[in-house]
Amino acid sequence: MATMTSGLAPKTWASRAWWSLSVACLVAVIGVLFAIFAFVIARGVPALKPQIFFTPTHGIAGGLSNAIEGTLMLVFLGLILVIVVGLGTAIWTVEFAPPWGKKVIRFMVDVLAGIPSIVVGYFLYVALVEEAGWGFSLVAGSLALAIFMLPYVVRAADVALTNVPRALKEGAVALGARPAMVVASINFPYALPGILTGVLVATGIGLGETAPLIYTAGWSNYAPTLAPTHSPVGYLTYVVWTYISQPFEESHQLAYAAAALLMIFVFLTNLLARSYVEYKLGGNRQQ
Amino acid sequence: MRKTLVLALAALLLASMGGRALAATDLLETGSTLLYPLMNLWVDAYQHGNPNVQITTQGTGSGTGISQAISGVAQIGASDAYMADAQMASSPMLNIPLAISAQQINYNVPGLNNVHLNLSGPVLAGIYMGEIQFWDDAKIKAINKEYGNKLPHTQIVPIHRAEGSGDTFIFTQYLTKSTPSWKAGPGFGTTISWPAVATAVGASGNPGMVQTCQNTPGSIAYIGVSFLNQTEKAGLGYAALQNQAGKFVLPTEPNIAAAAGATDKATPPDERISLIFAPGENSYPIINYEYAIVNPKQSDPAKAAELKKFLDWSLSEGQSSKFLGAVHFLPLPASIQKLSRAQIAKIQ
Amino acid sequence: MGLRIGDAVKAVSPATLQRTGAQAFLRVLTGVAALISFLIIFLMLFFLIYYAYPAIRFNGLNFLTNPIWNIGNQYGSGVTTRNGFSGPPGASFGALVFIFGSVVTAALTMVVAVPLSMMVALSLVYRVPRRIRPLANALVELMAGVPSVVYGLWGLVVLVPWIGQTFAPWVTAHFGFVPFFGGSAGSGNGLAAAVFILALMVIPIMVATTRDVILAQSNSLFEASMALGSTSWQAMVRAVLPSVRSGIVASILLSFGRALGETMAVLMVCGAAINTFPQNFFSPVNTIAAVIVSQLESALTDATGMAQRSLAELACVLFIITLLVNIVARGIMRGADRREGAHQ
Repeated sequence: MATMTSGLAPKTWASRAWWSLSVACLVAVIGVLFAIFAFVIARGVPALKPQIFFTPTHGIAGGLSNAIEGTLMLVFLGLILVIVVGLGTAIWTVEFAPPWGKKVIRFMVDVLAGIPSIVVGYFLYVALVEEAGWGFSLVAGSLALAIFMLPYVVRAADVALTNVPRALKEGAVALGARPAMVVASINFPYALPGILTGVLVATGIGLGETAPLIYTAGWSNYAPTLAPTHSPVGYLTYVVWTYISQPFEESHQLAYAAAALLMIFVFLTNLLARSYVEYKLGGNRQQ
Repeated sequence: MRKTLVLALAALLLASMGGRALAATDLLETGSTLLYPLMNLWVDAYQHGNPNVQITTQGTGSGTGISQAISGVAQIGASDAYMADAQMASSPMLNIPLAISAQQINYNVPGLNNVHLNLSGPVLAGIYMGEIQFWDDAKIKAINKEYGNKLPHTQIVPIHRAEGSGDTFIFTQYLTKSTPSWKAGPGFGTTISWPAVATAVGASGNPGMVQTCQNTPGSIAYIGVSFLNQTEKAGLGYAALQNQAGKFVLPTEPNIAAAAGATDKATPPDERISLIFAPGENSYPIINYEYAIVNPKQSDPAKAAELKKFLDWSLSEGQSSKFLGAVHFLPLPASIQKLSRAQIAKIQ
Repeated sequence: MGLRIGDAVKAVSPATLQRTGAQAFLRVLTGVAALISFLIIFLMLFFLIYYAYPAIRFNGLNFLTNPIWNIGNQYGSGVTTRNGFSGPPGASFGALVFIFGSVVTAALTMVVAVPLSMMVALSLVYRVPRRIRPLANALVELMAGVPSVVYGLWGLVVLVPWIGQTFAPWVTAHFGFVPFFGGSAGSGNGLAAAVFILALMVIPIMVATTRDVILAQSNSLFEASMALGSTSWQAMVRAVLPSVRSGIVASILLSFGRALGETMAVLMVCGAAINTFPQNFFSPVNTIAAVIVSQLESALTDATGMAQRSLAELACVLFIITLLVNIVARGIMRGADRREGAHQ
């Protein structure tokens, strides 16, 4: 499908030049990424010892165990929330919504993407932490993440589901499949890579934001409890943001180590998820 | 393989949670990023002798500290600035000084970073208002007899804090108290309406100030004294400031202590006072109390008791140079300690 | 692409099949999800406007035209009163500098990022060998996973000095005649740095979506175009890309939103201009999102609460900007679709 059928058309000089430029852009962009990663690793290396996984933050440095656990819990819960609501929203928009419904949802979602993370965080702070009296909590933090990730998941799923070729859908219906079955067996697997992209991009963005979590999850120097409310949770971006502004070398090293861990975590998740999807769907998709 | 991985992860999670004491009291401290490193050092040491209380510290900012202490979300709000009258009227809180901090004026003037230039309030005000634009301006030369002729014709880049900060508060208080035109103009606050200067730049956080100053030849910045090591490493110079007596003094411990000593008798019982531009020959003009903003009426008596214990500890063992020295803060004079303890006793 | 399952079912099967349990259940379930999404966004916007109302009355239209942002004297006595609402003495909230900064920064970011993203996406689809494709894809998506604070830090320590000491002097020296590039080279903290960093942050969003929609396309358009004699590049740009236009535009709008709403990274490199407009591409600038973050601290100490409400008003202005851009973009798209329809 995405193959070049060479020999059919002349590859002019201009065409070749453009393609070379496109590769140059790719290399430049990935080059910058490597530069940033090297920057982070170089400064975080002194703190990247095995014990940071087992000691919590204490004093001016320490380890990252509380932050790692907190991040994992917050992201896990946030992802559940955003996938359920976001995917459901996208399916409704593509399959069941009347034209005005489609417009409204797409519009609202695009607007949500433009709301600064701090507004989301502060809104939830006032609503949940103060008014509802939940205090800094796991629930508030996961909600903040879920809301922030929502537009990316919804839009990606929307676009992916919309792009399922009409022929496939018509074929299934002609064979007598009911709408629900069509959605489940045709739309979904075909759109899955696109949806996965949306989820991965959303996760990356959600993991990298500090502002929404500072006002909802707060911060904790201790391991997170499973209590949904009244118990603040630590997370890695807090370490990066706050320990950088301390006047001690050890704090800076810990901050960069946290940043490095975050990047590695996102990268591994992306790589594993993508490889798994390609392996599972390798037969169905024309690559 | 996957199953064992999941089980291992779950076991790790449960094991770490088990380590958490079951009947612990939780305290939350949030606020000033200047006080944050000291709080971390204190809490770490305090926990060793008091494992039944778990204190979480956050460095969020003075404003957040005050507002969360008022709303009860946090027990201790750390702030570099005392609360304003208007705010005290609507939410009476205890402003308890815990230590004394200072601020230096750093600059990056090629060739002169290893010496101490003299700067005064009016000159600084002129720089930040855009009236003094080059380092070899006559007004700067006038107060620098020793290095005057070495000042280069470089454009001055005044750097200010982008976000609201206690550093801005004490710096602008210095300008207000020493320069009438600044008092009538921008005034002081954790954030002010900085005069429009073409070259002015805002930096985020004290490390941002250090980095930007380092990046920009000709720049000048106000940076908290706890960052003295960073500024030295970055190769920035710091100034001798003109105090109320007209002398130019450096931010050394004796000079800071002199300023603290000069004002401690004037400190009222509620301890809301500015230490800026203190009288005295050797007083360094930019010093301040680091406050813990605490609600005298706590919602939880157990937390209130632990809170008082911790605050008392910070005023006794916490004042040792083991902690304060790392951040270049000074301990409170004895009379101020007494006032602070009196305020702590009011917590219920 | 406009065919809905519901229509096909009605056309092909007897009416009884429409009310099957599975379909109804799915419809309700997903409908609830959509309702939740809608409610969350609506509630946030509603409370934002409700909270900002006193500030809207206090500041009036002046808010949009005044370049001076003055939070007033928190430590003074008395209050300023306008239109029945009071704020701190001497307060005058004017957002013009930030509105200008947000729009210019986001617009320039898209100007830089959109072509780059298209190029990167095309190379990922057609030029990267199959075996390392998952790796290349994961790397580009990793860019979305870099914490915004890290972008800000790298920007401050590496990018800003480079712009201030190497890039800007070079540009102002050689391209000074171009209106926006001449003048002072600045310190590195400024519009250029913010645009660069924001571009890095939005590129992965557009690349990932563009790549996915191209891959979901069949090859027939591409092959047909080539058979008609175009080069592979022309076939790609003239035939395939337009057919996936709606997906690409969706990602562009999303990216524009992100560029408008990014706070931390921008705050650290933009130079935080207060009360001044950028003179050229390298001057300090400020955006609404960055201002909300940086001013929130001080606003919390305002006993009248007007400072906080003015920040909420700023957020409302940002929301309106996003709204307008979306409306305009959709209008352009509809116009383009209509033109294409006429030709078919």
